[in-house]
Amino acid sequence: MLFHDARIYQIVFLSLFLGVGIATRDWSLQPLMIGTLFATCCSVQWFASVYLTATPPLQSLPSALITALGLSVLLRADHVSTLVLAGAFAMLSKVWLRVQGKHIFNPGNFGIVAALTLTQDAWVSPGQWGEEGWYVLLFLGAGGLVLGRVGRWDTSAAFLAAYASLEAIRNVWLGWTWDVWAHRLMSGSLLMFALFMITDPRTIPNARMGRLIWAAAIALLTFFLRNVWFISTAPFWALFALAPLTILIDRLFPSERFTWEERSLAADDKEAITDALLPAA
Amino acid sequence: MKIFRTLLLSCFIFLASCFFVTKAWAFCGFYVAKADSKLYNQASQVAIARNGNQTVLTMANDYQGEVKDFAIVVPVPVVLKEDQVEVSDSQVIERLDAFSAPRLVEYFDPDPCAQLWRSEDFLAAPQAASAERAAPRQSNSALGVTVESQFSVGEYDIVILSARESGGLETWLTQNGYRIPQGARQLLQPYIRQRLKFFVAKVNLEEYETSGYQSLRPIKITYESPRFMLPIRLGMVNAQAAQDLIVYILSPQGQAEVTNYRTVKVPSDAEIPLYVKDEFSDFYKAMFDTAYNREGKNVAFVEYAWDMAGCDPCSAEPLSADELHKAGAFWVTPETPQNVFITRMHVRYTRDRFPEDLVFQQTNNRASFQGRYVLRHAFTGEPTCAAGEAYQRSLPRVFEQQAQTLARLTGWSIQDIREKLPQVQSRFMPWWQRVFQALWHQS
Repeated sequence: MLFHDARIYQIVFLSLFLGVGIATRDWSLQPLMIGTLFATCCSVQWFASVYLTATPPLQSLPSALITALGLSVLLRADHVSTLVLAGAFAMLSKVWLRVQGKHIFNPGNFGIVAALTLTQDAWVSPGQWGEEGWYVLLFLGAGGLVLGRVGRWDTSAAFLAAYASLEAIRNVWLGWTWDVWAHRLMSGSLLMFALFMITDPRTIPNARMGRLIWAAAIALLTFFLRNVWFISTAPFWALFALAPLTILIDRLFPSERFTWEERSLAADDKEAITDALLPAA
Repeated sequence: MKIFRTLLLSCFIFLASCFFVTKAWAFCGFYVAKADSKLYNQASQVAIARNGNQTVLTMANDYQGEVKDFAIVVPVPVVLKEDQVEVSDSQVIERLDAFSAPRLVEYFDPDPCAQLWRSEDFLAAPQAASAERAAPRQSNSALGVTVESQFSVGEYDIVILSARESGGLETWLTQNGYRIPQGARQLLQPYIRQRLKFFVAKVNLEEYETSGYQSLRPIKITYESPRFMLPIRLGMVNAQAAQDLIVYILSPQGQAEVTNYRTVKVPSDAEIPLYVKDEFSDFYKAMFDTAYNREGKNVAFVEYAWDMAGCDPCSAEPLSADELHKAGAFWVTPETPQNVFITRMHVRYTRDRFPEDLVFQQTNNRASFQGRYVLRHAFTGEPTCAAGEAYQRSLPRVFEQQAQTLARLTGWSIQDIREKLPQVQSRFMPWWQRVFQALWHQS
């Protein structure tokens, strides 16, 4: 039963990435920072469950862990207080920024943007994974598995296809060799974003057509921000800026709201788990 | 910790003189020599001071060759006017280099039986210079090429060009007597289409001769652009082997990093055998090679990251406000407190592993880092107490650990290293340890 919850897969894979990152990459991660994120996300989620949404706290715990793991992998800061802010904003955004019961922003993404804009000491390192082939395989494999469980692989595919096409057009127009294109796409950070952050079934459009349009729009904005405004953390800003578009797209393309795993869950559990299912990063 | 105490810090180096024997100006442009002089680009240094989008970029001129043959083409993000280009002092780069160079630190073990005492001493910090010559001439024409501005600064004649297509630019350069390296034409196109301009510099021989300078000075350009990158692709046109680039990034914020390649710290804080003191440059070179290969040859190494208000230990005196200003840190004034964070990055790049130009970002990471290697002088006096005996007994193990560390960092043969280790003869050493030690030195 446990492994019918896609969040468990998310937790396993994000933990794996965090472990791989710490062990093999030169990340300046401190246990205190990771601990802070976990403590903040879990306690804020607990508080929100008990006092704000009146849902069983344990049901939401996995999503708090996912957000904490996602933020640990992606966000860096000089001070503990910045991470407390990021974690708290991430979790509270789910509760406070909702339209028709659906939260607007991906919590991890919201936490990152909050830390980047509200504090002076946070940063994201887009080059932290490098571009070795085995990471690509690992990300694709793990992402595929998790997306398969959640049923939102189309978003990743649409985003990657649109972004790769735009970069390919740019590459041809500029006259670069194809290894430049490959290098831009093989970035571990980009793949992680595509597979784990824009696939959050609770915040993305419900209809497949809506998701395809939405993902392509994020790809387009990412491409623009990266190549015209030269923003290296473009994907996070693009997702943040276009997340509210989901509300409009859901109106244009009405469809069943995401109800994860009709196959294996009792009807009573559905809403609660769906509500908590929010891959952070 | 009580076993030994820091007595003496010291430091220094630099690798430049020995490490980068053949420096050249390669990173962002290519040479367009008129003569068939042998030009090769092996290493270059550039300092980038950046606050927001305002950028001051200083290119150290390490051109090796006849001054009259010197000419270079560098893509720049905006059209530069005369007041945006200056000739800088080569000492500025040397100072940045000396301040941020990987350092050797010496500690002296005290007599474990005596009272602790302490003193300090500093070794000299040999510095490498850059420099050399260059020269060509120039002319004019169209072909879709616009001469955006044209002026002389110091010993350089400078033309800023924009072009509509690479063929026209190539023709312009050729017509004006510049020899374009094979394969440069295809590489010019992406830069033209990205709307970059071309900074073409050559030496005004008359100025150069009357200036009395022995070498070409660095060129400093000031501009405002959201692009924070170095176009290394062009520099690979006329380079056969891997090239080394040292980038000093000065920021009011914190550490800088590369966003499209991994940024990795060089191995540091390793305790290595004493004899390395005499061959530090060989050590560093081998260690860098090993790290470079281990990391897959496609990373940028951080060799130093520190707030420039201080250092510990210092391999050179911190730069004064005036020197920082000269190095491009335009936000520093004598009245304001010094707020400059330096990141020294060392990138060794080849065409196959670095398809894209380097893109940087500044972060708010103010954590300090330095490439620092520790020499520990053992106390050689006769032990007069139990602690002293224990200390002497521990020495072979300590030396062996240092040897292992050195072998791991450099890939050098452990046997060769052991042969150079100091001998510890002590009446307190157990017989088996003496046998073991003898075996090492025989093998």
